[in-house]
Amino acid sequence: MSKSMSMSIFQPGLVHTPVTPFTRTGAIDYDRYAQLIEFHIANGADALALPMHAGESVSLPDGERRALVEFAVRHVNGRKPVIAHVSETGTAIAAALGRHAVAAGATAVVATTPYYWTPPPAMVLEHFTQIGAAVTIPFFLYNSPEEMQGTKVNAELCLKLIDKLPNFAGVVDLSLDWQFMIELMTDAPRRRPGFQLLAGTELMVSAGAIGATGMFAPLAGIAPKLVRELFMLCRDQKLFDARGPQEQVAALRQAVKVGGVASLKAAMAVMGRDCGEPRPPLLQLDAATYQRLVGELDAIAALRAEPRGW
Amino acid sequence: MQSPVTPLKDDFSLDLPTFERLLDFHVRTGATAISWPHHKGESLNLTIPERKRFAEAAVRVVNGRIPVTIHVSALAVEDTMELARHAQKIGADGILAITPYFWTPTLAAIEAYFVRLCTSIELPVLSYNSPSYLAGVEITGDLMARLIARLPNFVGVKEASFNSEKFLEISRAALPMRPDFALLTGVEYLLPSVPLGGVGSYSAAGSICPNLCSQLFDACISGNWPRARELQSKISWLWLLFRDQYPSSLKGGMVMMGRPVGPTRAPLPTATKERQAYVRSELERLGILDSEPHGW
Repeated sequence: MSKSMSMSIFQPGLVHTPVTPFTRTGAIDYDRYAQLIEFHIANGADALALPMHAGESVSLPDGERRALVEFAVRHVNGRKPVIAHVSETGTAIAAALGRHAVAAGATAVVATTPYYWTPPPAMVLEHFTQIGAAVTIPFFLYNSPEEMQGTKVNAELCLKLIDKLPNFAGVVDLSLDWQFMIELMTDAPRRRPGFQLLAGTELMVSAGAIGATGMFAPLAGIAPKLVRELFMLCRDQKLFDARGPQEQVAALRQAVKVGGVASLKAAMAVMGRDCGEPRPPLLQLDAATYQRLVGELDAIAALRAEPRGW
Repeated sequence: MQSPVTPLKDDFSLDLPTFERLLDFHVRTGATAISWPHHKGESLNLTIPERKRFAEAAVRVVNGRIPVTIHVSALAVEDTMELARHAQKIGADGILAITPYFWTPTLAAIEAYFVRLCTSIELPVLSYNSPSYLAGVEITGDLMARLIARLPNFVGVKEASFNSEKFLEISRAALPMRPDFALLTGVEYLLPSVPLGGVGSYSAAGSICPNLCSQLFDACISGNWPRARELQSKISWLWLLFRDQYPSSLKGGMVMMGRPVGPTRAPLPTATKERQAYVRSELERLGILDSEPHGW
């Protein structure tokens, strides 16, 4: 019980999810990564989660992925918590990444459903159970059915996972599904006081109404002020006031959604924070798409107040 | 807003006197509008003449006390057009129409459908967006904007994606063009929608717990989020209870609330005595039996 109590204390708050900068030859650009981490820390991050899908986790071989987490934890040096993203296809591989994250000094781990297999609920439960049991730090479940070919996590599975894992601290939700979030926040905090819902992207008003207390922010590299404003209004339950910033963020999200990480990195370059191009199989934006993105960014009034450069 | 179930006699024929009682019950217990026959009202299991007959009854019984809209969605688009003209003729206040069933129409086809529907009548038209039930067919934000620009009587949407991003996509497209465009949702999902500009919801469980529905609406509109969370959780439990074999379990629950409305037409099952007893025990556990009206 004391273990589960201590596990529930970590509240990630506003979590920035940095991209992974690459050099022209496609190697991880650690100098730039250090600069980027400084930018996030100086611009409103309560915690960092890395490498998320926005950080091209799936394009990093195991050794690189471990080295990246080690570098980040060392560079952050305790100024903010670092959440390591350990999603993998194979359960044992993900669990090994989890153990590595603990050894590297991460504050928590986050993992989504297995890639590719689209497993039924029993397999998903087993996958998460083994990952969570492999670590001694808080474990967050990342629910992202659209990215994961429809593999969903339901509230019932989360309740079972609470019973199995004393360190299961919360759900990072990218399903955006109202019924799932309502069911989860109706039942899970009764089962585990302090259980958290975190918005998996910068769509926090509905999630905040339902009870989300944290937010993962892939757009923070582009618009850290706007993201922080939205988060604070939601955290303080000023939900009617949050609608304006929410609509601006939704416009930004829609603008970068087309090209995924390539758009995210292109938009960061537009803001004066060049982190290179994504790794294959992702392609950089073609000229027409890039020009359209620049135009759409230009139309988002809130971006004018955002920092340019590092 | 309440969408009444359709009361049936034991031989599955329409039960008009009970329908009249039910309409009156909803009006007396705080409904802000009536809309019939939603899928919950077994719309697709009714014949077109049956739908017309009860639509007339709804307008007559409500008698202007609150607005009445008629759900005109039908398998055949020609039936939808006919039901829409009929709704106008009998004095309904508006209609509600989903994207066409079965065909997975393109955006251009959906646009043509709503243009035809809206220009065929003068009544206000509410659209109904339900991609999860219709193989992903949906009214996108861009399409919503085109329809608003083109059709003065295209006045709102029942947004049934129940998803933060979809709701925002539509609100961002619609409200700048038509600030009073009515963003509505279903299943009493008021807590996640009202802070984003939602103005109301159709109700799933209103025939069981009208008081709870009104309380949730008031809590959301006044921004009392802790209270709204508590009430939305309670409604969520009810939705989980009724979602199973909807609306059969709902009709079963109404028996337990002293408002029997008869069986459910096939292929939907009718709630068994055992199911009714289970629903009753859940209603008791949730305190509904004590806090909500019993009988008509």
